[in-house]
Amino acid sequence: MALKRQAVQWPWHGLLVVILLGLAIGLWVATKQVNYQWRWERVPQYFAYQEEEPQTAPVAGIVTRISPAGDTSEVTIQPQPDGAPVTLTVETATLKVAVGAPVSAEDEIGATRHWRIGPLTLGLWVTIWISFVSGFFGLIIGLITGLCRIAKNPTLRGLAVLYIELIRGTPLLVQIFIFYFFIGTVLHLDRIVAGIGALSLFVGAYTAEIIRAGIQSIPKGQTEAARSLGMSAAETMIHIVLPQAFKRVLPPLAGQFISLIKDSSLVSVIAITDLTKSGREIITSSFATFEIWFTVALLYLAVTSVLSQLLFWLERRFARSD
Amino acid sequence: MIEVNRLIKVFEGRGQIVRAVDDVSTQVAKGEVVVIIGPSGSGKSTFLRCLNGLEEFDDGQVIIDGIDIAGSKTNLNAVRREVGMVFQHFNLFPHKTVLENVTLAQRVVRKRKAAEANEKAMALLTKVGIAEKAQEYPSRLSGGQQQRVAIARALAMDPKVMLFDEPTSALDPEMVGEVLDVMKQLAREGMTMAVVTHEMGFAREVAHRVLFMDAGKVLEDAPPARFFTAPTEPRAQAFLKQVL
Repeated sequence: MALKRQAVQWPWHGLLVVILLGLAIGLWVATKQVNYQWRWERVPQYFAYQEEEPQTAPVAGIVTRISPAGDTSEVTIQPQPDGAPVTLTVETATLKVAVGAPVSAEDEIGATRHWRIGPLTLGLWVTIWISFVSGFFGLIIGLITGLCRIAKNPTLRGLAVLYIELIRGTPLLVQIFIFYFFIGTVLHLDRIVAGIGALSLFVGAYTAEIIRAGIQSIPKGQTEAARSLGMSAAETMIHIVLPQAFKRVLPPLAGQFISLIKDSSLVSVIAITDLTKSGREIITSSFATFEIWFTVALLYLAVTSVLSQLLFWLERRFARSD
Repeated sequence: MIEVNRLIKVFEGRGQIVRAVDDVSTQVAKGEVVVIIGPSGSGKSTFLRCLNGLEEFDDGQVIIDGIDIAGSKTNLNAVRREVGMVFQHFNLFPHKTVLENVTLAQRVVRKRKAAEANEKAMALLTKVGIAEKAQEYPSRLSGGQQQRVAIARALAMDPKVMLFDEPTSALDPEMVGEVLDVMKQLAREGMTMAVVTHEMGFAREVAHRVLFMDAGKVLEDAPPARFFTAPTEPRAQAFLKQVL
């Protein structure tokens, strides 16, 4: 009789499936109760859609020839009374003239179609780049503040502590309003700059504490060994302490940046058209409230999942020397 | 090579004042091997760490190769280049390979080219008998191997003095010998060394002088032959009775 017995797993997996199914049914029943019409087919057009551009006859004349070529057709117009024939290409489905028909200038012949990027895609892009830029500046601010936080100089230390406490003790939403309405007005900042500024300062304060903890977790012997070899304090920091500290703080840092992506939705309150604000705008025109919010949530989830996988991969790479 | 005048180091904490190094004066000549022994808490490690300024001392003077390390115009980093140190817990850089451990300071501090630093590092790793592990990370090495890498790392700076702070205390017994062999070889080659250790055999065999410290003071300063056979201080006699 072995001490370690293989526990039976499948009933628990079954229970999980039952619970998930129950949740799905509950959701379905709930929407039935409020008499909600699901219109998922309206969602894709907000990612990308085809725009029709009307094509008009440049001159008055007679349509002499229409030659279809796949989905498009070439329409040839013989100007009246004379002139060189003109050829237009339009979508066959949008043709408004027939061979032999007279047209006057500015008459609509048909239309061409172009792919346009929808507001959801644009909003997603704005969310991604605002988060990326804020994360970049936040990391720099956090690194500098974290170093100041453990500096010997009391002025630097005091400033770092004040900044960290100020940011951590106030809501991000309030910080964004202050940054936009007060600092933004005084310094004539664009709303995007104000939004990125507020997010960078916010994430910087948290990053500073993470980096400080990381630096302090490196054994003193590492610094002593480096200094005993004649390295300066700065060289020791750059070559010995920070690389090791960075490796250790990668998991909490990853959590911080994932939070940042989600927190960036708050900049929609100062009219930056990020993913959240795009979603709100689409709802006013499509009335597909549930579908759009679910879609927006899934898009945030997709971005944060990709980032978390990326950082997980980085973590494993750094683990080589363990 | 090393001159110490009336060195005082005081630790303060929880209302207590400990005179870890209490008015110590001594000197180490070029090529001399001085072994410092004494009971734990006697201040021998603190004394050694004062010699390269890792410990900021309160009073007195440490002169390395004619330079007062506490002087207002002294560049302490420049002094430390000339003073190698080996620690009890090795303190290898875990995120660097063995080779990188030995080349890093050469390149950063001595500004040597990569090829030159690598060549020097491989020569030293061969000397301490560990060249085949050059591409490994320190975590893959045994304690004795790590300590030999640490010695190579210090030697790569071409130091004029080597300080050893209980280099074998954290090692499994069967690994002590390999580290001591490297140190003996260094001593034979004429390196100036100050060694804090509990290895009495090493002291007897290699040391030119033995310093016995207790409560921050140097109580005995004698050649090993005399120290181990006829110590004058009662505390040294008691200590030797315990360890021999």
